Amino acid sequence: MSVLMASGSSAWRREAWLLSRDRSVWGWWCVALLLSALAVVAGLSEVQQQRATIERLVAADRADRDATWQQQTDWGSAAYYSFHLTYDPPSNFAFAALGRRDDTAWKHRVRLLALEGQIHERDAGHPLLALIGRFDFAFVAAYVLPLVLIVLLHDGQASERRAGRHAWLEAAAAPAPGSTAMPSLWTLRAALRSAGVCVAGLLPLWLGGAAAGTDGSTLLGATAAVLAYWLLWAVVCAAVAAWQQAGEVILAVLLALWLVVAVIVPAAGRWAVDRAVPLPSGAAITLLQREAVNGAWDLPKATTMDAFVRSHPQWADQRQVSRPFEWKWYFAFQQVGDERAAALSQAYTEGRRQRDRWAGWVAWLAPPALLERTLQHAAGTDLPAALAYEARVRAFHAQLRNFYYPRLFLGEAFTPEARQTLPAFQP
Amino acid sequence: MSTWLAIARAEWRYWLRSRLALSSAALLVLLLLATTAVTALRIQAEADERHQLQAQAEAAFRSQPARHPHRMVHYGHYVFRAPAPLALFDPGLDPVTGQSIFLEGHRQNTAMFAATGASADLGALSGLTPAWAYQCFAPLLILLLGHAAVVREREAGTLGSLMAQGLSATSLLAGKALALVSVVALLLLPLAGSAAAAVVAGEAGLAALLLLATYAAYLLVWVGVALLASALLPTRAAVLAALCTVWLVWTLVLPAVAASGAAASVPLPGKLETDLRMLRDLRGLSDGHNANDPAFQQLRQDLLAQHGVARVEDLPVNLRGIVAQVSEQKLTATLNRYAEQQRAAEVAQAQALRAWGWLTPWLAVAEASRALAGTDLAHHHRFLHEAEALRYDFVQGLNRVHAEKLAYQDDVRRSSDREAEARTRVDPRHWQLLQDFSFQPAPAAERAAQAAAPGVMLGLWLLALAFGLRAAARRVRP
Repeated sequence: MSVLMASGSSAWRREAWLLSRDRSVWGWWCVALLLSALAVVAGLSEVQQQRATIERLVAADRADRDATWQQQTDWGSAAYYSFHLTYDPPSNFAFAALGRRDDTAWKHRVRLLALEGQIHERDAGHPLLALIGRFDFAFVAAYVLPLVLIVLLHDGQASERRAGRHAWLEAAAAPAPGSTAMPSLWTLRAALRSAGVCVAGLLPLWLGGAAAGTDGSTLLGATAAVLAYWLLWAVVCAAVAAWQQAGEVILAVLLALWLVVAVIVPAAGRWAVDRAVPLPSGAAITLLQREAVNGAWDLPKATTMDAFVRSHPQWADQRQVSRPFEWKWYFAFQQVGDERAAALSQAYTEGRRQRDRWAGWVAWLAPPALLERTLQHAAGTDLPAALAYEARVRAFHAQLRNFYYPRLFLGEAFTPEARQTLPAFQP
Repeated sequence: MSTWLAIARAEWRYWLRSRLALSSAALLVLLLLATTAVTALRIQAEADERHQLQAQAEAAFRSQPARHPHRMVHYGHYVFRAPAPLALFDPGLDPVTGQSIFLEGHRQNTAMFAATGASADLGALSGLTPAWAYQCFAPLLILLLGHAAVVREREAGTLGSLMAQGLSATSLLAGKALALVSVVALLLLPLAGSAAAAVVAGEAGLAALLLLATYAAYLLVWVGVALLASALLPTRAAVLAALCTVWLVWTLVLPAVAASGAAASVPLPGKLETDLRMLRDLRGLSDGHNANDPAFQQLRQDLLAQHGVARVEDLPVNLRGIVAQVSEQKLTATLNRYAEQQRAAEVAQAQALRAWGWLTPWLAVAEASRALAGTDLAHHHRFLHEAEALRYDFVQGLNRVHAEKLAYQDDVRRSSDREAEARTRVDPRHWQLLQDFSFQPAPAAERAAQAAAPGVMLGLWLLALAFGLRAAARRVRP
């Protein structure tokens, strides 16, 4: 009894000692460690595969373009036949949250033709794996470890109550009159148990971060976000566990809560946001662009060239097309096709961005989604990152146009060596 | 038998008095009904939109003005994948695979515009569908209702008196199982509603029934697990902790681990990589835009000899059109070979994933469900296949027009001679050669065969649990 009546710090020591002999708690800590480690290893392996893929693609792409150029004798055919690889390499924190890299394309090959007809092509990964989702750290941290906390913390008081020890333990652990306030026994127990889960869950992340060369600040920010999130769950679990109810009732309530914030609110939010922010159908963009590009064959050439010169006044003097087919006219109508579809395409991009912004607000009602989004943002694997890559592809396409237009419009002689000065995509 | 019924009735009375049981059942039923309704409406809207776009694309192609047939080869065509009737229950891969493909000469494009790419991102579990609610959350209710079945009697001390009255452990378990089976039957009602709606929309009865049977088997697996834990573990708390762990591992952890494992063990080259490999191999092949390509010299000689003329201009067919036909044929054979390799690699990765079904029945039920609904990988490939067949058909149709309706002299001068160019524009009635496209799922028997492997897995899970329960019945102690 004298041990139990001791001061605050020895109460910590006592509980820690009791805990160190509780095999089921150690079991759950090991589970947390194992899950987190597995997720980090899987993430690292995926990122390494993506890097290797990019390396192979870069080499194969250069070989293909070199071979293509050798067969060309004019600028128009060179522009028509040569493709250029663009890609979005994974960041050094991507291993922790693979995010949208599963279902959006992070590699494209584009050429000088109308970009709207090319940029929506998607060489994404296996659809089945994208559907199921990867076992990355973000998934474990946001969805799985809260369940571990629930299982670990729900029965703390109910089991003692069932065993008839609850009142006795409370009385025994109550601070002696006049002593400073200290956390209750139950808070202490919950804190120690959760602390173990936090350490077990975060350790693999830090090791993975060290292996992947993640910046300290990113890692620190992620750690803070994850800790705040787990703390929230620990507090909720401890609060519900203090309720005078049977263990199964407390467990059911906590599971229902998990179900609401992890599944129901996100699903309802997604449905609501998708309805609230209408998006032009993607097919509409490509259909419009195709009509504009193909219709140009049947239009008077001056119509196309006038439209082209409106956005490219520097070529006003070269707008004359005398033969039924000229490359400069061909590429001009490709560009005019893109310009015709530009408003729709921008609406599509802006709509996706808007949906994502709204999703960010809804996520405040669904902490698991909020944490996942936070980690994906830090990892550069969220939707804004995918859109930024799309913007880089568009900018690169503009670079290609700037390279070819002078050669096409001024009728320069073809020089195969110019291959060396072709714009190269900078990821 | 009457003992079983009496025990089952007692179990139902216990549930009906329990606020916990009633409120969790209400929550789950609400969830099932809401997702069923919302998904059905969403899929219906998407089906309407895609049918409309398909009709629009076909009308656009057929109403093109007179022009050179090769322009139409590059004008191309769009096909849209309409969802299968049962997609209203299990959309499967539909939201993650592209829904439309642009078809044109000389290329096999990818499917564009996956719904998930444009949808609000609210985390890994926000893509709730009825199928998924059944796979993940219906088991929770079964565990909550079933966990106490035996252990409750043991903790209350009633197990001893029941057995002292001569009730065998087998009868006790059978009675409890009967009660849970009746819960499963009730839980399947929203699914039965979805299946009936699909049958009305043209789905085969066989597929709908097998889908129902698949989910019944899956939920029975959970009944078995709940009873087994309840019979063997000493306290209610231990049973609950064990069942929660099983649920967490089977429905959340193992599927995602399996996905990562399959990706790591069977690496999948993407389409770009496959394309680049193909291009390297194709460099030997000739360019169908250029009839003077040396690779076509033999073809030219053969044609001249066959028609007994000396000059290409005297041939009754347009050499350029013939070259376009032959080169498209050769190219397509190569494209198909590499596309098949890509699909085979995808199937291999899917099979690596399936192997994990021995560790969790979740993977087995999910795969069987997608297969029966017509929304699995095989159907995605079926769509790609049918799209390619249509592409080849209209491109070669146009090439035939190119060969038969155009004069070679006009064709070679069309880039420099305006009048020749005007004569190469053929009558738009030729654009009617485009076939209608309407994506239909495979016949029900074929889908059933596809679902057989995961179905057998589920059956073996059930069998193993039945044996486990028999063994447990001998070990039940008060």
